[in-house]
Amino acid sequence: MDQTLDISKLSDADRKELTQFLQNESQKSAIQQNVHHIADTCWKKCITSKITSGRLDKTEEACASNCVDRWMDTNLAVLKHLETLQRQ
Amino acid sequence: MGLFGSSSTPAPATSSPEQQELKANIIKQLQAEAAMANARQLIGKVNEHCFDHCVPAPGATMTPGESSCLSSCMEKYISLWNVASKAYLNRATLERKNNGIDTIAMNSLATGGPAPQSL
Repeated sequence: MDQTLDISKLSDADRKELTQFLQNESQKSAIQQNVHHIADTCWKKCITSKITSGRLDKTEEACASNCVDRWMDTNLAVLKHLETLQRQ
Repeated sequence: MGLFGSSSTPAPATSSPEQQELKANIIKQLQAEAAMANARQLIGKVNEHCFDHCVPAPGATMTPGESSCLSSCMEKYISLWNVASKAYLNRATLERKNNGIDTIAMNSLATGGPAPQSL
């Protein structure tokens, strides 16, 4: 790592603040990763006709929004069912 | 014990200007790396999907039609990403508020992404 970024030189308060910062960044990064995955999936489902404009039309936008919600429903359903399988 | 361990000698409660600057630099560096990683992901996806969509039969040169398709496709992908991001955050917030479910960690199981770390 960069010699100038030596964490051992920080005060305890600074370390605490950095830990909090990293926790937030980690959450942000997890969200972004999930959105990348979902956008990839929803692009395949919602952008099926020839691309003529850089903007989403009304149908595409509604499809994308629904796609995210149904993806989430699916994920929750899968995990819920998995739980019942484990209990058997 | 925190991520960086605990120092053997208790540090003073307030930080010196040097320490303040060091902290700011670390934060700046981490933010830059996170932004880069995010941009790299997006570029990869745009490249993959727009190449698929706009260049179905690669010829000896890029045609003007393919070029304009790529521009539109890029903008459209980013628009879709933003719509998905907004819808995702809305839903995640709702699930947390109404059902007390941390969907972000659960979704990471399906997306193969890193689960949020608690340090």
